[in-house]
Amino acid sequence: MKGRYKTKRGLQSTSSQVLVHSVLIIFVLVALFPIYLMVTTSLKVSSELYKNVFALPPDPKWEHYPLIFIKRGYYGNFINSLIFAGPVTLICLVLSIFAGYGFALYRFPGREFLFIVILSALMVSEVSLLIPVYFLLKDFGLLNTHLGLILPQAALGLPFGVFLITTFFRGVPPNLLDAGRIDGCSDLRLLWSIVLPIGMPAIKALSVIQFMWAWNSYFFPLVIATKYEVMPLSVALNDFMGRFTMNYELVATTCVIMFIPIVVVYLIMQRSFARGITFGAIKG
Amino acid sequence: MQIKKTYPYLLILPALLYIGVWILYPIGKTFYLSFFSAPTTHSRDYFFVGLRNYLQMATDKIFWTSLWHNILWVGLSIAIPFMIGLLLAVTLVNRKTRLLYATIYFVPMTVAFIIAAVVWGWIYNPVFGALNRFFEYVGLESLKRGWLGDPNTALLAVNMIGNWGYFGFCTLIILSGLQGVDPVLYDAANIDGAGSVQKFLHVTLPAIRHTLYFLIVYTAIGSMKFFDLIYIATKGGPHHASEIVAVYMFDLFIRQGEINYAASLSVMLTLIIMVLSILMIRFLYEREI
Repeated sequence: MKGRYKTKRGLQSTSSQVLVHSVLIIFVLVALFPIYLMVTTSLKVSSELYKNVFALPPDPKWEHYPLIFIKRGYYGNFINSLIFAGPVTLICLVLSIFAGYGFALYRFPGREFLFIVILSALMVSEVSLLIPVYFLLKDFGLLNTHLGLILPQAALGLPFGVFLITTFFRGVPPNLLDAGRIDGCSDLRLLWSIVLPIGMPAIKALSVIQFMWAWNSYFFPLVIATKYEVMPLSVALNDFMGRFTMNYELVATTCVIMFIPIVVVYLIMQRSFARGITFGAIKG
Repeated sequence: MQIKKTYPYLLILPALLYIGVWILYPIGKTFYLSFFSAPTTHSRDYFFVGLRNYLQMATDKIFWTSLWHNILWVGLSIAIPFMIGLLLAVTLVNRKTRLLYATIYFVPMTVAFIIAAVVWGWIYNPVFGALNRFFEYVGLESLKRGWLGDPNTALLAVNMIGNWGYFGFCTLIILSGLQGVDPVLYDAANIDGAGSVQKFLHVTLPAIRHTLYFLIVYTAIGSMKFFDLIYIATKGGPHHASEIVAVYMFDLFIRQGEINYAASLSVMLTLIIMVLSILMIRFLYEREI
């Protein structure tokens, strides 16, 4: 009896522990197998793939990486992706912070309504926007430009950004702000020196999320960037697939090159990332 | 005091204008275009046709098939990744290693849809695909097929790619909901002599219901809007077997140049999502008050 109610795990027998662990491990394998497959395929030649897809590459072909990245000019698309995802993140962050500050810490007529207007933008399918956005960009001569890629993409992430930042800023204690006001701080000063430091976890998380969304986004860039010079990695990958139909190892190499920066950023910022993504669900 | 009153509006204005230009204006324009038609495809010399596009939709079999697939997609996405997430989160919540597992389960979500579609394309490949090889090893040769090319399995096969990317997200969300549950609730249940199943049904589930509701609504909206993965993996084929509304719309717009009809589908899809969200939120949240 001793310790029986001490922890939940104390109730479980050894055999059920084995079962629980195998379930957890099976899903680890499910999560990681496609990534294993992608990396090993990039180091094989096609005949090895046909022989056994599961095996490690017997003679890893590292030369695929310089071939794709340098000789095939994939580094250019890599730079395009940075020029695209960086400003998208920045626009989204700045606009979300100001709007979140307004929504969370002020009372004013129409606040609820305007917040719902912004949230309702979450329900709009990207495909629905495509037709007018395409013509808007065309009329302004922005098709096949970096600016044309950046502007609509930042809008797609903005409703989520405003939602996340507003939810987080609501947790700022009002008496802190009152104290600041008594000391004669301006409203922008309060944002800068009190609200922003407290909201840092949400701001970090939002930057990672927006950067990832933009880096991985495919659909708007596919329609807007049809010239190779402005294509981000995702669209260039699509283009490569058409050209290397049977060269699975080269397609895999391009996939790995596109995947590495995101997974590295994710693993470094993993805590703020998780926090940001779960925050809205708990408080919202 | 005049400045004080306009201040919050000035803070919100940039975001509102930005969303206005790139989301609200386009939706309005789409709504407008849906009442027009063009003499030829890809033409912009529109003329007014009233509700004709909407009437065309009523008899468009592909539209109804796509909508049905969307509904299936919502059902599958709640049945599979949501349930797996619940199972894993409940299993992990009292473990020291939960963060490590949750981090690993979330990795697929960082994989771009284009990459996921390519790599899963190899898993499903009829010639060398890992899935068919796996069935060979375990002696279920009869199950071997081209998973994405077979109309019977295409939709489910693409859905599994989506689930692979999504179950870690569900786990993470539910896990953080569970971590917020007050342990006192369990003590009370223990004193009452409740078993594990009873505790799960009567303590855990009610305590995390808001997290679960959020996740269900979020999943349903996401499933209705779903596009990229299906478009890349199957383009809605074979023979519309994995067609969903957004993919059909894109096809009408880009490949067939039926801009106005595509616009009326957009309006319909947006309306359906809004009605669905409002109904779900009403049903789930308002019964509580």
